[in-house]
Amino acid sequence: MQLKSRRRRHKVRESITALSAGLLAATVSGHAQAQDAGVTDNFGPGVNYTEFDSALLVYQESGSRVLAIEPAGTLTLHGSSGAQLSVEVVFDAVSGATPNGAVPSNLTQTFMTPVKIITPGASGGSTTVTGSSGGSTVITLPGTPGTVSYGTRSYTVAPNMLPVDKGFNDRREGFNFSWSQPLGSISAVGFGAGYSTEKDYRAITGNARISQNFNTDNTTVSLALNAEFDSSSPYGGVPTPFTPMSGDWKKPAGKDKTQLGFVLGLTEVMSRHWLMQLNYSFDTQSGYQNDPYRILSVVDAATGEPTAYLYENRPNHRQSQSIYWDNKFDFGPSVTDLSFRYFTDDWGINSKTAEVSERFDLSRSMYIEPSARWYQQSSANFFHNYLVQGQALPAFATSDSRLEAFTSLTYGVKLGFNLTGRTELYFRGGYYQQQGNGHPAGAIGQLANQNLFSGTNAAFGFIGYTWDFH
Amino acid sequence: MNPISTNLAVRRALNAFACVGLALVCSACTTIGPKPWQKDLMSRREMQVGAYALQAAAEDHIYFSKEASSGGRGFAGGGCGCN
Repeated sequence: MQLKSRRRRHKVRESITALSAGLLAATVSGHAQAQDAGVTDNFGPGVNYTEFDSALLVYQESGSRVLAIEPAGTLTLHGSSGAQLSVEVVFDAVSGATPNGAVPSNLTQTFMTPVKIITPGASGGSTTVTGSSGGSTVITLPGTPGTVSYGTRSYTVAPNMLPVDKGFNDRREGFNFSWSQPLGSISAVGFGAGYSTEKDYRAITGNARISQNFNTDNTTVSLALNAEFDSSSPYGGVPTPFTPMSGDWKKPAGKDKTQLGFVLGLTEVMSRHWLMQLNYSFDTQSGYQNDPYRILSVVDAATGEPTAYLYENRPNHRQSQSIYWDNKFDFGPSVTDLSFRYFTDDWGINSKTAEVSERFDLSRSMYIEPSARWYQQSSANFFHNYLVQGQALPAFATSDSRLEAFTSLTYGVKLGFNLTGRTELYFRGGYYQQQGNGHPAGAIGQLANQNLFSGTNAAFGFIGYTWDFH
Repeated sequence: MNPISTNLAVRRALNAFACVGLALVCSACTTIGPKPWQKDLMSRREMQVGAYALQAAAEDHIYFSKEASSGGRGFAGGGCGCN
């Protein structure tokens, strides 16, 4: 009896000690942060505060291909009752050269695309565009000077070079907002909407979500639904699949796509040091999914020389699923983030992704975080490097390297500074590298000597700044 | 046993297995995890899901525009900028 009582007392003492240690740790941590900040206020649950998050991404592909500059900013208002309102603005400026889908040849290749210009001379004629169009020749239609003419732009590609269109130039503006709050016994309900527009593409999104916490908030189960409506209005109109590439202006001017999906999530605090997240995603897309600018080479069955260029054709429906498993470990002195994803769709693409980052605190206000990502995908079942003259056309075909089998690796490092308890500035740099099969077995004639993989390598830099304030 | 009833039996067994599995996962969830006063590490920004959201969104955008897979930690899409 006495033994039992002593054990119970011991257990109570253990609990009180653990509780005290926990409270002490929290107090010390909060105090240290407040000291760092030079202020006495706090940010977190139960407190009204505002979070400003801003970032700038610069992305450059090798070989003077795509350059993207993307600034973004988010303002999030946190209410003391758990309500949250977030507004995000993002801009993209994208330019450079992008592969048009044709295979390289040992001969000079010429491609034609539509163009809309202001007639420069009294009787039309020709003019040459320099700079971003890389020496393309513009053939104008006769017309009144100063009025808009619709014509053909042609560009040439030197022998043994990957055909790219250097006239690519676009910008995007995106706006998103979201709201969430506790509702009765439900931990959080929320909804959001987004609008994104480019010169030739528009996306409208809406989403709703619900989440419930259990087990003293160690477990969160969530369900989010997403709907998206996209409109593609390509420069020059929508080409008819498998028709020859031309500079004609085409009809219709645009086509639409709808997308519906959900994400079912489980977040679990496994221990004091381990947080785990498991998501299952389902997505279905219906409508226009072609890349309207992308072509396929039709090659001679003996020599492999291109004889024609046809616009691609993809199925109108796509259904995909993925499982994502993320783990965060804080075993000190570093924090590890380790995630895996498996993705599969009915186009025949299966992919695996593994990502790891390790954060080391160099001092109280500075940290470094190296990271690596490995990704591997199989080919879509309608991917073809080229089509062969004299053979029947398949129902669907694309030469887009994004839909062929390849492996990609990303290496990066991040350096962060906690300027005060309220602000953080961080820099991240990385290198992205795709590796595919440039010399597939059975390549015809001159194609056996060409690199048929048009994947890319890219460097990117990222600056982020966050600021919490009342 | 004909193939139809075999399929039905297999489907019922899978459903039962899924129900039992789900119940086990749910019951396991209620017993694992730290006590409220042991969550000091979880309050750190780097341990929170969705921290550095703009960084994650920018990287997802790179991968979304160069690879055939997308989504996982959230929804994919919402515009392109893909060339």
